Amino acid sequence: MNAVPLACARVRVLLESYVDGDLARDDAPLAAEMREHLAGCADCRRQHHQAVSVPFRLKALISPPPRASLLADVMSSIGPAKTGYRRAWTLVAPEAILAAFILWYLSGLDGLSSIASGIFGDLQSLAGWGSGTGQLPSVPRVDIVLLIALIALAAIAGYHLSILIRLAPGALPTRRAARE
Amino acid sequence: MNDSSPGHPGRRYGWAIVIGILAVAGVLLALADISAGNRWPNPLAQSIVGSGITVRPTPSGNPQTLRFDRSRVGDRFIFDSPIAGFGPLNPYQALRAFLSNGAGLVLLALGALVVFPSRARSAVERLEARHGAEIALGAGLVMVLLTLAVITLLRFTLLFLAVVPLVLLVSLVAALFGIACISLAIGRLLHRRLRLPSVHPLIAALAGALVVFDLAVIPYAGVFALAAVAMAGLGLAVVTRFGSTSGWSFVDLDW
Repeated sequence: MNAVPLACARVRVLLESYVDGDLARDDAPLAAEMREHLAGCADCRRQHHQAVSVPFRLKALISPPPRASLLADVMSSIGPAKTGYRRAWTLVAPEAILAAFILWYLSGLDGLSSIASGIFGDLQSLAGWGSGTGQLPSVPRVDIVLLIALIALAAIAGYHLSILIRLAPGALPTRRAARE
Repeated sequence: MNDSSPGHPGRRYGWAIVIGILAVAGVLLALADISAGNRWPNPLAQSIVGSGITVRPTPSGNPQTLRFDRSRVGDRFIFDSPIAGFGPLNPYQALRAFLSNGAGLVLLALGALVVFPSRARSAVERLEARHGAEIALGAGLVMVLLTLAVITLLRFTLLFLAVVPLVLLVSLVAALFGIACISLAIGRLLHRRLRLPSVHPLIAALAGALVVFDLAVIPYAGVFALAAVAMAGLGLAVVTRFGSTSGWSFVDLDW
């Protein structure tokens, strides 16, 4: 046993291993000195009391019971998104209807090919106008119904694409899911 | 591609044999495709394999037609089809189709993989996951509809008309990237299923690209198979945002 009594600073350092019982196991004389010091020092005794009470408090804590829907929620979050698959399939119908309507409106594939050839003809005219050798091409007149159908098809296709991206393996969680 | 070792001595040449078989199959299928010609439902056959009949220059015709075929060896290897109603068999043209279109496809696929290796890996991993292929094909189909709708809309404007070639170019690049990833995925599939020895991933991708070429020159069904692969490639590129590891995220816009 040391003749020099333990200083408070040293006691604070050793306090944790003393509380855990490690000090008594590894160095019994030092543990006895700690006991002596604690008996005589009110400040260190208060520290010891707090340190002792923390593990007891932690042990006293009880785990909150999991909510009943936890298992179902976990399984639904890691399992295939059936709703997403269903929605991805149901969106094919309006897309097909709109595409068929647009094709019918444009007189079928001939109309589509005339639009394609018109694009490149107008682009050539535009380039000629830019270089000062031609006139500015005129924009073809278009029915509002066709424009609405095209915008609707683009919007539905974009939404459909976003669903497919979310369904894709390894996709990032949505903003809502990330917040939750 | 290093999860198997060549157990059998014959497997050492497994990849060479597979690639050789795929190349021969490509030439034979191209031969049949040329003979089938442009009949419905294969209206675009000639754009892939060319015509079985050689165009001869006439005094009044374009003399440049055969400028790049001075030897004209192919003229001596045209045979009548054994099946009535089909065009002549032109093995030289089939080989030419393989060495031009096939080599072009392989080079573009390998080039995309060399330039974007980590992106290709990310895309292939997601393609190989559960439902990955179906989602890629579905997304490709939707992308075609979206692109057509957008291009038709832009056609009725003057200001944005110049954007149309850009949209087409981006779609083409995306489809090519996707086809390169699909080629690598097919190569990896061959590696697993045939238990081939470990090999450089570009060799596996080469075999995969040859499979894609073989699909494209199947008589009658080739154009549709190629369209399906291209659509799946486009969808894969879009779904994975060109193989980005972070994918699509709008978190940065939501501050």
